[in-house]
Amino acid sequence: MTRKKKKEKLGLFFLNVFFIVLCFVTLIPILYAVSVSFSGQSGLLSSDFSFIPHDFTLDNYKEVLFGEGIMTWFGNTVVLAASTVALSLSVAVPAAYCFSRRRFPGRKAILKCLVLLNAFPAILSMFAIYRLLRPLGLVNHRAGLILVYTGTMAVFSLWNTKGYFDTIPREIEEAARIDGASDLQVVIRIVMPLARPSIIVTGLMVLIYVWNEYIYATTFLTGEANYTLAAGLYALQATEMSGSWPVFAAASVAVSLPVLIIFFLCQKHMTSGLTAGGVKG
Amino acid sequence: MKKIISLLLCLCLCLGLAACGGRADPGDAKKLTIWHDKEDAVVAALSDYLSEAVPDLEIVFEKKTSLTDSLKLVGNDPTAAPDLFIFAHDKIGVFAEMGILTPITELVEEGRLEDYLPMTLEAAAYKGEVYQLPLYFETLLFMYNRRYMQDDEVPATTGELLQYATDNTGRGRYGFVEQHSTAYYSAAWIHGFGGSIIDQDGVPFPDPQAVKDALAYHLKFVALMPGETEYSTVNTLFLEGKADATIGGPWLVPSARDAGIDLGIAPMPTVDETGKALAPYSGVQGIHVLKFAAENKKEAVQELLDALTAPSVGIDLALASGCAPANALCYDDPRVANDELVQAMRGTAEIAVPMPNIPEMDVMWTVVGNLLTDVNLSGKDVESSFSSAMDKAEELIEAMG
Amino acid sequence: MKKRRNKDTAVSYLWSAPSLLLIALMVVFPILYTGYVSLTNMNVYHWFDFTIVGIDNYIRALFVFDSGFLSALLATLLWTVINMALQLVIAFVLASLLNNQKLRLRKLYKTLLMFPWAMPGYVSILLWKTGMFNTQFGLFNQWMEKAGLAAARWLSNNVSAFLCCTLVNLWLALPFMIMIMDGAMQSIDKSYYESALLDGANWTERTRYITIPAIRPIIAPAVIITIFTTFKQFDVVYLLTQQAGAKTGSGFHTILTYAYENAFVTNNYGYSSAISIIIFILLIVFSARYQLREEGDE
Repeated sequence: MTRKKKKEKLGLFFLNVFFIVLCFVTLIPILYAVSVSFSGQSGLLSSDFSFIPHDFTLDNYKEVLFGEGIMTWFGNTVVLAASTVALSLSVAVPAAYCFSRRRFPGRKAILKCLVLLNAFPAILSMFAIYRLLRPLGLVNHRAGLILVYTGTMAVFSLWNTKGYFDTIPREIEEAARIDGASDLQVVIRIVMPLARPSIIVTGLMVLIYVWNEYIYATTFLTGEANYTLAAGLYALQATEMSGSWPVFAAASVAVSLPVLIIFFLCQKHMTSGLTAGGVKG
Repeated sequence: MKKIISLLLCLCLCLGLAACGGRADPGDAKKLTIWHDKEDAVVAALSDYLSEAVPDLEIVFEKKTSLTDSLKLVGNDPTAAPDLFIFAHDKIGVFAEMGILTPITELVEEGRLEDYLPMTLEAAAYKGEVYQLPLYFETLLFMYNRRYMQDDEVPATTGELLQYATDNTGRGRYGFVEQHSTAYYSAAWIHGFGGSIIDQDGVPFPDPQAVKDALAYHLKFVALMPGETEYSTVNTLFLEGKADATIGGPWLVPSARDAGIDLGIAPMPTVDETGKALAPYSGVQGIHVLKFAAENKKEAVQELLDALTAPSVGIDLALASGCAPANALCYDDPRVANDELVQAMRGTAEIAVPMPNIPEMDVMWTVVGNLLTDVNLSGKDVESSFSSAMDKAEELIEAMG
Repeated sequence: MKKRRNKDTAVSYLWSAPSLLLIALMVVFPILYTGYVSLTNMNVYHWFDFTIVGIDNYIRALFVFDSGFLSALLATLLWTVINMALQLVIAFVLASLLNNQKLRLRKLYKTLLMFPWAMPGYVSILLWKTGMFNTQFGLFNQWMEKAGLAAARWLSNNVSAFLCCTLVNLWLALPFMIMIMDGAMQSIDKSYYESALLDGANWTERTRYITIPAIRPIIAPAVIITIFTTFKQFDVVYLLTQQAGAKTGSGFHTILTYAYENAFVTNNYGYSSAISIIIFILLIVFSARYQLREEGDE
């Protein structure tokens, strides 16, 4: 018994070492950016690089947080991301439930077509989407972008939540139905809580997509005051003549942090209470 | 709990939709929106000047990152497009053919353009019409770091430059660096050998031999330069003092001064074989008027353009960010005349070739970029690379119409 | 009875309507519109006054599908297969390891491994390009130098450019795959494993008979979507090696970067739309075969 325990502990130790090394290797490019973001030199590139900046300074972050309008962009992005996630989930969940639980003519065909739609190279969608948004008066409108983002992510959201709904045993629902619950009640009280990991993953995917999307944002929004973070970052970097790499690096790191925090917070919910209350076996 | 969450979500949604600000009425005849992608200093100088010169107009500068792509999308649509935009002259052909630009000669009084440097007006003209009111221009310059290259060492010919580069390259140092495999930079060499990338009628490489000679000769320099051709590598080498000399744009000057480099600017060296100087492309930055604005806000646009033809705006721009004004009268001001950078660009402008502004040039950037990469970086031979580039150019130009 | 079924169908469609409508607007409409444009002569010279020219553009587009296109297509297939295989295997292994309940710090590891995903893609790609692969300043060459080796031009020949692009693509795409697999693995009822352990099943058997069959239906859509994304990959290859003004000398093209250089730069919308539609159809043909295989398995 103790030998087995020892062996297990040793295995765990190596597993930990493995993951620590893996995380470090994965993070090298990002550590590079972090190091540059704290350095006072004017170039990203330096022939004598180390992970600890030579002349440590917080100036770049000061500039990011107080100059360049990044706080405005942050606000814009939050509004945009929150609305898109809310809209995406509220259209995807009922549809996914129908496609998972109900059988109706056209169901299989639609599911197949939806996947195939991803085969279209999106580079040229821009023009068509512009043609679509213009008569609706939604060019230069956040509502337009929200619709574009939701539509773009809708196939994924639908498929992803549907896949998870498929794994939830029907017996659980049957039991509730016998107790006299309506369809809506079943979905909200039973299916949604059980499908929480998938709903969170889907929401997170949409969030990250909106957070990092810059092509639609730079095309359909005008003026620096309306930029999202990704679009603003892109603008910072695109004008190579004035671009400052340390500031850019600081901004990149600052942009990624909120997503990571949200990710960390969501993890708890992803793992919790999965099988709780479920029909065992 | 669930209710609260769904309520919150709904609230978010409503907030999101409500927060979508509307755009001002495009019909406001005194309000002009100008798209640009310029540095803050340039825009600040312009907008300061305009708020004094035309106080009755409301001028809104909007920074647009991928300006030309967006214009191709919104075209002339009054609800989404700007009234005017500031950009280099090389896209004039595309937008004029699209039919979204108005010739500025219809909006500016005759005679107001007389004092402009001929090169700038030539650059702004497409099929006999002037589509841009030039503000300032940029050319590449020969720059060197005085710490390593003394004034009397500055090469007058490409042969001397090659000798200098050979003697001073090695151990992580470079005698001379440039963005060697980039069409914009290589044009100087092609012109120096008497060739060109495309002529006015859209014929690619009108003098093939000159282009091939330039490529073959330039290869000797490429061997002494780093394997990267992009902006950040080349400039960082120069700014870190690891390269003695470079060919770069005026936008490099502020960062060089910040980096504490004792910067020298010299005329372009001449090619020994032809006796011609390396003649870079020049880009003329100016303001373009969209058709919709010219038709519906004619008076405001005229007033704005009139104010922008005054020499003082050029002087302001030159002083604010070292731009070389397009209006020759600006150079009468001693502060402009004594600026080393501005003077150097004006000197180079005598030999510089305005970037072609015909739509066909759009595909040539790609073709020449690939040709240079093939020859300089992939080590393919000049003759066959050139002939396939020629084929590709003809094929793509054919595919445009 | 029939009435009841009709009503059921109507209810199903009603609930799915918002989602399907958005997809129709933002995904289906652009495809149809591109199809329409591909039949016109919309280009720089006919921006507003374009007319229907029939299949002219398709006939011309066939000229683009020359030997260069074929090699790009083959490279893209190879690229997709290699990337997907590596992604699935690595993500599966990492996700199973991360699911070890005794690994106390697994949450931290998971979060750290998600970092590449939290950054805008082009920022990461630029970081890789200048920070890692750059011949002058890149970390790789600094390490090579310290190891006493000659500096390498990582991105300037086809094979090493392909490998570098694969590395960056994996770095960018793995977090998503790990997360999907992780989510799927957590949906597996723990009691299956308990009874399998009682039956004396080892790790391989448990993986083969419980984990894989259980997560397969859940990850399938994500995997299929990732296959398409990989096939259509543009940013990684373009920004690392083919960006105008920053080319590295590699000849590795995916069909999209190839089409970009050979059609989209012409500003001829009719022509480039025709090429987009052809690529679309090609992809559907490939995936149709894949789907048939999937069904055969079931």
